[in-house]
Amino acid sequence: MLLVQNLSLYRSNIKIFDDVNFSLGSSKIIILKGKNGSGKTSLLKTILFLLQPSSGSIYWKSKIIKKSIYDFYNNLTFIGDKNTSIRQLTITENIIIWKKIFLSKVGNEEINNILSILKLDNFKNKKINTLSLGQIKKLELLRLIIENKKYWILDEPFTNLDTETIDIIAQSFEDHCKNEGSILFSTHQDIRFKMFEEIIL
Amino acid sequence: MYNFLKKLINFFYREYKINLSGFHDILTNISFFFISIFIFIFSIGPEKETLSLLSVGIVWSLILLSLTLSLRKFYQDDFDNGNLLILHLNGFSFELICILKTISHFIYVQIPFLISIPIASILLNISFDKIYYLLVTFLFGSLILSNLGSISSSMNLLNQRNYLLGSIIVMIFSIPVIIFSVAVINQEENFHYLINILLGILLIVFAINPWASGACLKLALQNN
Repeated sequence: MLLVQNLSLYRSNIKIFDDVNFSLGSSKIIILKGKNGSGKTSLLKTILFLLQPSSGSIYWKSKIIKKSIYDFYNNLTFIGDKNTSIRQLTITENIIIWKKIFLSKVGNEEINNILSILKLDNFKNKKINTLSLGQIKKLELLRLIIENKKYWILDEPFTNLDTETIDIIAQSFEDHCKNEGSILFSTHQDIRFKMFEEIIL
Repeated sequence: MYNFLKKLINFFYREYKINLSGFHDILTNISFFFISIFIFIFSIGPEKETLSLLSVGIVWSLILLSLTLSLRKFYQDDFDNGNLLILHLNGFSFELICILKTISHFIYVQIPFLISIPIASILLNISFDKIYYLLVTFLFGSLILSNLGSISSSMNLLNQRNYLLGSIIVMIFSIPVIIFSVAVINQEENFHYLINILLGILLIVFAINPWASGACLKLALQNN
């Protein structure tokens, strides 16, 4: 379980966020909301231990996160605001690389099913630089399935997606929670789940 | 342990696919190398004696200049598309990423030069004995240059405005490499001593590179 206590971040004496508290346990969705520049991405980066907090603590499985950082990473998939697919390769080539790098055991049949749900199956052999931003984002979200980790941390996962795809992704979030997964994500969209917690920054 | 080794092998598969898709970049580097050799030949003149006197120095200088062309891509693409962060979150420490990227730069960027050197040597009238020494020094020297390239490219991530700075750093620190590499070929009797010095330089940069580059990558991701 991830526990965040009294977390604050100041940069050059400017407050980025202050006194953030939450716990992310099994079957839980936490949505970070806030205006542009309110510190959502910085908070996610702090949780990922890329930024040092000015004060407060982060615990992973009851230990200070610094001491168990690689165990935390082993249980985590992070989708940031950038698309990590390699632009000069095709969708299939990117998926093969991801499966190899993440030592994924997810079968090709399951991946093909998801590609057809996301309407990417006809573009499997197209290079990423020929796809639209929405299609690239859908492919990026496929990494959640390929990595097959319990904790998902996402920065603006619904950017560039149409409403139909947003519904599909939201449903997959619900399904992940049913399987004892946990999700922390930031968004501007008004997305609602059966059970969720909202943090306004 | 088995999974870790598998991850390392898969990292090189990833680098292979990326470099294969960007094969035109490697061809551009080699074309630059050969065109520069022709420019030297035209400017110096076709006299065999003059050419064989200057040839080894020319080859080494041009290898260095060609290398600076490939430095921009060392970390920049993976940094821009977020892959450095994703690799780190998947158990690759920043230091390990630097070591693996340096080795892959050596394999996919420097090794094509190894094939080009004998052809370039014929053009510059370098004797077959010297080609052997040139290839041996290249093996050591190019590894040193890849390590230096890694340090300067990672520093460039912190300084997005001035790319030439990285090239200048590589050039300054590669002066000893060129001095000893050229000396190995011109003073064959001291081959073992000079090659040991090159090996020493290689071990020093190989020890410094992961920590220096790793720290730069971490800082760059924090500031991004």
